[in-house]
Amino acid sequence: MRILWNEMKKILTWKSLLLLLIINCILYFFLIDFYIKHFPNGRPALDSYRIGIEMIEKYGTSMNDEEFQDFRKVYEARVEEADRYLQTEKVAVSEGIDTYAKFNSYDWSSASKEAGELRDRLFFEEGTDLFWELQERNRLIGFYDGKKMYPSDITPAQKQRYEELAKEGIFGTYPEVAIRNFQDYITNVAVAILFSVVAVISPMILEDRTRHVVPLQYTSKKGRNVLKTKLLASFLSTLLVITSLLVIYLSLYSLNDTSVYFNVRINSFIGNESWYNPTFLQYILFTIGGIYLVGIAFGLAAMGFSTIVPNTLTLLGVQIPFVAGFLIFALNRIITFPMNMWFPKWQMPVFYGLLLLSSMFFVWYVNRREKKMDITI
Amino acid sequence: MIVVKDVCKRYGDFTALEDISLEFSNGLYGLLAPNGAGKTTLIKMLATLISPSSGEIQYNGENIVAMDQRYRELLGFLPQQFGFYKNYSPAQYLFYLAALKGISKQQAQVKIDELLAKVALSDVKHKKMKKFSGGMIQRVGIAQALLNDPKILILDEPTAGLDPKERARFRHLLTDLARDRLVIISTHIVSDIESIANEIIMIKNKRLLYKDSVEQICETLRDAVYETTVDFSQLDEFRKRFVLLSEKQEYGKMIVRFIHKGEKEEGWIPVQPQLEDVFLYEYQDEMVEEL
Amino acid sequence: MRIVLLECKKVIMSPVIIGLFFLFTAFNLLVIFNSSDHKDELKIVNEIIDTYGREITPSSLELLKKDIQNDLLELEQLTGKRYDSVYDFLEGLDVEAYERYSDKEKTFITQLQLKEMYESTASSIDENYAKIDVEKLGHTSLEMYKISGPAAKTYLAENEKFAKRFDDMIQNEEHKEWFFAGKAYKMHTYLFNNIFLQMMIEILLLVVLSTAFLATYEFEQRSHLVAFSTRRGRKLMKDKLAASLATAVAISALVLGSTLGVFFMVFDYSHVWETSISSAFNWEYNFPNVAWWDITVGQFLLASIGVLFIGVLLISVLTFAISILIKNSYVTFFVVAAGFILLYMLPSFMPHSSNLLFVAGYTLPTLLMAISGLFMGSSGMIFFKNFEWVTIGVWTAITIIALFISFRRFAKLDIQ
Repeated sequence: MRILWNEMKKILTWKSLLLLLIINCILYFFLIDFYIKHFPNGRPALDSYRIGIEMIEKYGTSMNDEEFQDFRKVYEARVEEADRYLQTEKVAVSEGIDTYAKFNSYDWSSASKEAGELRDRLFFEEGTDLFWELQERNRLIGFYDGKKMYPSDITPAQKQRYEELAKEGIFGTYPEVAIRNFQDYITNVAVAILFSVVAVISPMILEDRTRHVVPLQYTSKKGRNVLKTKLLASFLSTLLVITSLLVIYLSLYSLNDTSVYFNVRINSFIGNESWYNPTFLQYILFTIGGIYLVGIAFGLAAMGFSTIVPNTLTLLGVQIPFVAGFLIFALNRIITFPMNMWFPKWQMPVFYGLLLLSSMFFVWYVNRREKKMDITI
Repeated sequence: MIVVKDVCKRYGDFTALEDISLEFSNGLYGLLAPNGAGKTTLIKMLATLISPSSGEIQYNGENIVAMDQRYRELLGFLPQQFGFYKNYSPAQYLFYLAALKGISKQQAQVKIDELLAKVALSDVKHKKMKKFSGGMIQRVGIAQALLNDPKILILDEPTAGLDPKERARFRHLLTDLARDRLVIISTHIVSDIESIANEIIMIKNKRLLYKDSVEQICETLRDAVYETTVDFSQLDEFRKRFVLLSEKQEYGKMIVRFIHKGEKEEGWIPVQPQLEDVFLYEYQDEMVEEL
Repeated sequence: MRIVLLECKKVIMSPVIIGLFFLFTAFNLLVIFNSSDHKDELKIVNEIIDTYGREITPSSLELLKKDIQNDLLELEQLTGKRYDSVYDFLEGLDVEAYERYSDKEKTFITQLQLKEMYESTASSIDENYAKIDVEKLGHTSLEMYKISGPAAKTYLAENEKFAKRFDDMIQNEEHKEWFFAGKAYKMHTYLFNNIFLQMMIEILLLVVLSTAFLATYEFEQRSHLVAFSTRRGRKLMKDKLAASLATAVAISALVLGSTLGVFFMVFDYSHVWETSISSAFNWEYNFPNVAWWDITVGQFLLASIGVLFIGVLLISVLTFAISILIKNSYVTFFVVAAGFILLYMLPSFMPHSSNLLFVAGYTLPTLLMAISGLFMGSSGMIFFKNFEWVTIGVWTAITIIALFISFRRFAKLDIQ
């Protein structure tokens, strides 16, 4: 126990914590900040977010046709409001856009100057939500009307899933701003955590070797088992790093105030057809689990490399392709869209499985190798 | 000739060396002090690796730091612990250092062969050093120090890791070298230098204690070193009264060697003081602390 | 010189650098081959240039139109129906009907399609450029970036200069030269943004690693006591710097050589080197690419490579300076990476009303990340005419000062 504690202290030195701080501050501003500061990101995202909340409060986490009729009625009432508004506008009347329907079908690409100014005023200057809101409600209605359509060039498995969802009456009809924002946010958080884990875990075991501590350690009573303790210490440090960063980043995420959406199932969000159908909150928890898994896998790999590489150049150089490869090929598939139907169903579990198994195997191999290895200088 | 003038070295509040003044001309100097006395600091200053906080070191009247490479050209240095490139062979490693020492390729080739033969490493010339024993590494270190045929040779604990046979050979090599150059050997093993050093330098409490020939230093304990036989039962009492230099068991009794500055007692046999005696006597406090 | 070579050998002997180099190159080639579907379609531009000349003149355009008419006649024979455009024909065609044509006929149809596309773009150049009001777009940009105060003033002043350049460019008819259709293929962005950015990041990774490795080698191998007490002494650091720079040049040359070599083998640029980079066909997004100077595609490529080399060398020297101070290659690597990103983000921390907003953009990372927009007046916040040379000049000065400080410190440093 005391050894374990000492090994952990060797990993989590104030220097490495400083490195952690630097990495996370920089990546926060570089990648993450945007999704907190700009949520919802302008118009009509804001309207989308508000209407979504209204839908959930009024109709619950799924909508049947009857409820949707009500939603349509609200839209129509708002359209009438817009009609009345437009009729009071001289310019609108003279330009022949005195109803919302006409306003919508107007050819804006060859609009007169007055009409353009009117539109700019309605949308940008007067601060009325009405026209933005109408636009968004119209879009949502469009999605509801087209809910049964799906792309033609899909695999049989995808087609089956679409039919399954349709049979259960699950359609993507709720605004997707919240879940898209979460997906973007958590992906970048995952990147920050991945870098943090690799940077903090990598150097320790190598350092013991370059400082020639290993012969002393391996000839002590504990002997070569000390490597196991080091690995355990690295593992615990990995968990510690991931957990503390997640606590920070998830508290930041809570600023986005998306909890109203937590009980909506992910297939109910627009354009979010998935192989599984957890609620948004369950999905968030799943993604957090995924980050733990990725973090642990890369933490394990870092320990393994740290045990076998001869110097820091190699330590960094060897890990670059793995980290880059993960970011390029896997991040999207298992953190951003782990359940999405665009990817084959087997992909996510296989990726996670491979990631974890290969890193565990690697550490097992490294440990076994160390047991028998000649300790030269 | 090297002159160390009023040199001090401080690290913040901590003083490593204080007011050291020394002169070195050709010959072999033994720098003798227990670990932590400031030997390595002095040696690193002589190797220009660290610079004095005050005072200066001169070679033939010129500051060695200012002399820059003209000084280091004359210098051969073996640090106490030195790194080597694990994946290099001794030949490659020496070749690299030869380049740093400004020795031409052809010359280096010849010199490296010659030196590796001298330190008996010819047969492993092209083997990677990561499989070398400590003694072999140390011999590579000695070879690298001699690469540029230095006028000034500074060796920090050179015999660490050498076996008795190698030690003897090394002593022989040193006497040879010291004939026409300046050799400074730092060590805490008295027997390494006792018989070969022209002068011994001792540092105590960060200051210079002695710089003299072995005989002169031993003279300081003249008529103060004795040997006698004591009973086991009296040994503890004896230890309290005198500075014991060595204890040896013989025929069920103890023969002790000790220092007493004063009246001789009966049964004590006066003996010739040795360098080791001075060493033990001077550093007795530090020894006790170390125990 | 021998020492420099021996230092270089340390990098070459380390399998990681070599391994990473091959891995990166393989990845680059994969990316190139993966997006080479349209490489044959690009060849039409070469044919057009061969037949009608590089410059688009009314008479040459007329010739092209005539040839298209002839082709349409041929299409009539093929299909038995008269079309005004091959697109009309294709619109009414289903996949099965199309498949009935022979390969040769299909090629003919595709070629005709491409020719018509190029012809229609070429014919509408004047019309499309007439619509552009640079001064007005300047104000729009100010609104978009929310720039105000002195910054807005600076921006507009530069924009005015650019407006003049834009008019001159049109006067010179630099834009009336054939190039790969930008809207369709986005070759400029693909080469100078995607591929160059990818190469730049790879080169920087390799160079920062190898520089930090060399600079800290003796300390990390604990051979510093021996190495720095030799005749060469602390000047060894100068050899190491030279070796780092030589390695950086070699790495850059190898990555650029292999990747660009394959790129230009896949995509045939042989006829468009002389085309102006401000060509109307090099119009990919909302605004065409317009350079401050009358430079060709070939010159632009050389200039980009030049900037990349200078940038990489400067970053190598900066890494070296930092390595000497930190004496730990691992930490150095992260410090350099962090510094790079931090400098890149610098403008986003600046008030949008102050000229600092633009000053903060004059950094090496911004320069290197913006290769596709270099020398352009159409590249947003870094569109200043002096951006490239001032950035390089200032950062060369900063680098030299940093190196000087670092070396001076090292000269006095106690080597323990």
